[in-house]
Amino acid sequence: MTKRSLVLITVDCLRADHVGVQRYSQSVTPFLDSLAKNSVVFSDAIVAGAPTYFSFPAILASRYPLGLGRDILGIAPNEPTIATALRDAGYRTAAFIAGNPYLSSRFGYHHGFDEFHDLLDATPYGESQRVIQANKGLSNLNRRLEAASRFTLLTASLYNEVYFRYCQWRSARQGLSLDQLRRYPAAHVVIDQACSWLSELRDGHVFLWVHLMDPHHPYYPPLEAQSELGASHVSARRARFLNAFWDRGDIAVKRLRRHREEILSLYDAGVYWVDKQISRLVDFLRQSNRWDETVFAVTADHGEEFLENGNRYHSPTSLSEQLIHVPLIIRTPESSGVRISQSAFSLVHLAPTLLEAVGTAIPESFQGQSRWKQVVTGNPQAEPAIAECIEGCTNPDQVENRIRPRLLAIRDRQYKLVIRFSDRTDFLYDLENDPGEQSPLPTGVLTGERVRLLQAALAHLERTRRNRSADLALRARLCELRHSLGSKREPTAPALVSG
Amino acid sequence: MTQYRMVRLPEDLCVEAEKWLTGRFENLETMVCFLVREMIREDANKLDQAEEQLIQQRLRELGYI
Repeated sequence: MTKRSLVLITVDCLRADHVGVQRYSQSVTPFLDSLAKNSVVFSDAIVAGAPTYFSFPAILASRYPLGLGRDILGIAPNEPTIATALRDAGYRTAAFIAGNPYLSSRFGYHHGFDEFHDLLDATPYGESQRVIQANKGLSNLNRRLEAASRFTLLTASLYNEVYFRYCQWRSARQGLSLDQLRRYPAAHVVIDQACSWLSELRDGHVFLWVHLMDPHHPYYPPLEAQSELGASHVSARRARFLNAFWDRGDIAVKRLRRHREEILSLYDAGVYWVDKQISRLVDFLRQSNRWDETVFAVTADHGEEFLENGNRYHSPTSLSEQLIHVPLIIRTPESSGVRISQSAFSLVHLAPTLLEAVGTAIPESFQGQSRWKQVVTGNPQAEPAIAECIEGCTNPDQVENRIRPRLLAIRDRQYKLVIRFSDRTDFLYDLENDPGEQSPLPTGVLTGERVRLLQAALAHLERTRRNRSADLALRARLCELRHSLGSKREPTAPALVSG
Repeated sequence: MTQYRMVRLPEDLCVEAEKWLTGRFENLETMVCFLVREMIREDANKLDQAEEQLIQQRLRELGYI
């Protein structure tokens, strides 16, 4: 097969049902929708884990997040990835990551890249946020008020409300713009850098990985995105209020729901901005005569929840459809017309599939297999996709947080089994009749389907056990220890007790 | 009561380690104990085994093992 270049775009928090080609009712992805017209569209692409730190090992290294055990966070030392495979095949490789710390060199994501820019130091638009200086007297008073308010639920809730309003009043006085409020470099900043790298290259094949963060909370899309979408304009001050309100943990879901539509409009504007900047990158590839020899893939590391099941954001407390179902579009130079792949497709198969699409050998360590031939011939393999995470592990940096029960989802086109090991329960959903996963089927109903998915879960765990390497785990533990001790952080208390 | 065992370490290594451990560990013994304990921890593997057994048990309950 002819060798080709590869561009992989990953978008943080982009859920499948907010992309037009997946039948989203709002038109926020006009470019991706047009790209899809000459691409393979995977209507049931499923991440191998969520959030980012449990998803990316599959995307880049074709490995389930816990596939080498709980000691490995990110890419394992010397683990082959799509980047190392392509670099070894003579590609020029570069990554531009919009400031996601979990995709930095600390977690091994730089392996295989000639150029790796995590943009962690880049402040959006080069401006810095002003920090409100704390007033010691007021802080002490606040602490006393807060402690006193805890005597009854009513006073506690009254205190929370007043304090929230006070914080909003204080921060609104700063008068920061949306660009100043944004936490991550916007898509146009990242795409500018990617184009700049491409323009410096002469001939030869390239692998470019771009990770965009615009749909990630806090939701501060560029003003231009909101204007072009024609939606009612949300000012920086209002956006700041909405984000702070949405972040509150002290109020009921019912009250949060009041601002859900406004939050969704900010999220959608972020998605729109990503779409527009991807279009700019494609224009650049066309102008530099690279488009006709490039395989172009767009996907996401996980989705985002907007209270559908009571949750916000994307923490590993569930493996809901909103979190694990993502868009996946692959366009090749010879693509003509849209081809919809309707079987469940795990992103653990993405890296080998892309490597075959660009004509490069697939590393033996990959746990997924190339599905390129099946995709091209329209004979997709009907096998369930597996997604996993460690339940409640919101701070994976600390090993104690990773030594917790797993949450496992086995998902095919119609059925999904979620196994919650923490309380030894499993839930079977019929997604065709219950896409919102509101009514798990009782045990005894569709036992054959439950057993089939349980058997797939067992095979997955057995495979994981076989693949585990004590040496690799030890090396990962040493790296982690070196990092934690190097930062002079207190090691975990029990270990310090002598004798 | 915990039993102890003498371990011999090269003097120059101990001196270097003692320079490094300041602010991190009380003394050389606590550092070595910490590192060894971290290296041999088996909690992750035990959790994996328990999860496998749970699925096997579920399949057994459903009459498929």
